Amino acid sequence: MLNITRRRGERVVLGDDVFISVLEVSGQTVRLGIDAPRSVRVYREEIWLEVKRENEAAAQAASAELPKDMPAPLKTDSGDEETRSVSINRAPRAED
Amino acid sequence: MALAIDSPRFGHVEIDPESVIEFPDGLIGLGGTRYALLTSDPGSPFVWLHCIDDPSLSLPVTDPQRFFSDYQVELTDDDAERLGLDDATAVDVYVTVVARAELAEFTANQKAPILIWNGQGHQVINQAPGCDLRAPLFAEVLGGAAPADGDGG
Repeated sequence: MLNITRRRGERVVLGDDVFISVLEVSGQTVRLGIDAPRSVRVYREEIWLEVKRENEAAAQAASAELPKDMPAPLKTDSGDEETRSVSINRAPRAED
Repeated sequence: MALAIDSPRFGHVEIDPESVIEFPDGLIGLGGTRYALLTSDPGSPFVWLHCIDDPSLSLPVTDPQRFFSDYQVELTDDDAERLGLDDATAVDVYVTVVARAELAEFTANQKAPILIWNGQGHQVINQAPGCDLRAPLFAEVLGGAAPADGDGG
């Protein structure tokens, strides 16, 4: 692993268009600012890992049969309609 | 011309190119950029998000509102802008399902829903409060045998 020492206010550049800034250092906590193209997805590692594991767990069930005799879902199905739309709300930017 | 895949689950399947869903980023941690929704049982609440690039990869998904009536999706501004979504965009929402031997153990991932619109799909991180990575799907139906902490509040 590449090891780089940076001070507050200094940056690291990945490739030509991903900039990671050290915004603040306080005890055990480092605040990073990430400036990357919109196409680059940025996750906290623990969330990325949890979702990856759930996706893998879901995919593993592919060899099992889902039960046909299901308990009634809480909402009744309205026939041919495939899925309902859920409105997409915007969350305030996470500041932690 | 139809795309054909040999699926371990469904056998030989021809897929109408118009029903192909492009996932430019794949699913989080999984490969494949082209998927289709398949089902062999139209009455089932579950459909299979089936990878076309890797026919051995398929995940059961469901409409979260069938199970969690107050389920909401909230995106960060960054995600909404990256995906070109605003409040007016109508999207189909699915959650991945982990199927286990007992119904009471079935869970859905409320935290990382899959949004599908205009032939493209993205798995996103849901910022709405109270979302559970492993929300029991049948806790309420089965009479509350499992702790009811996964209904998204």
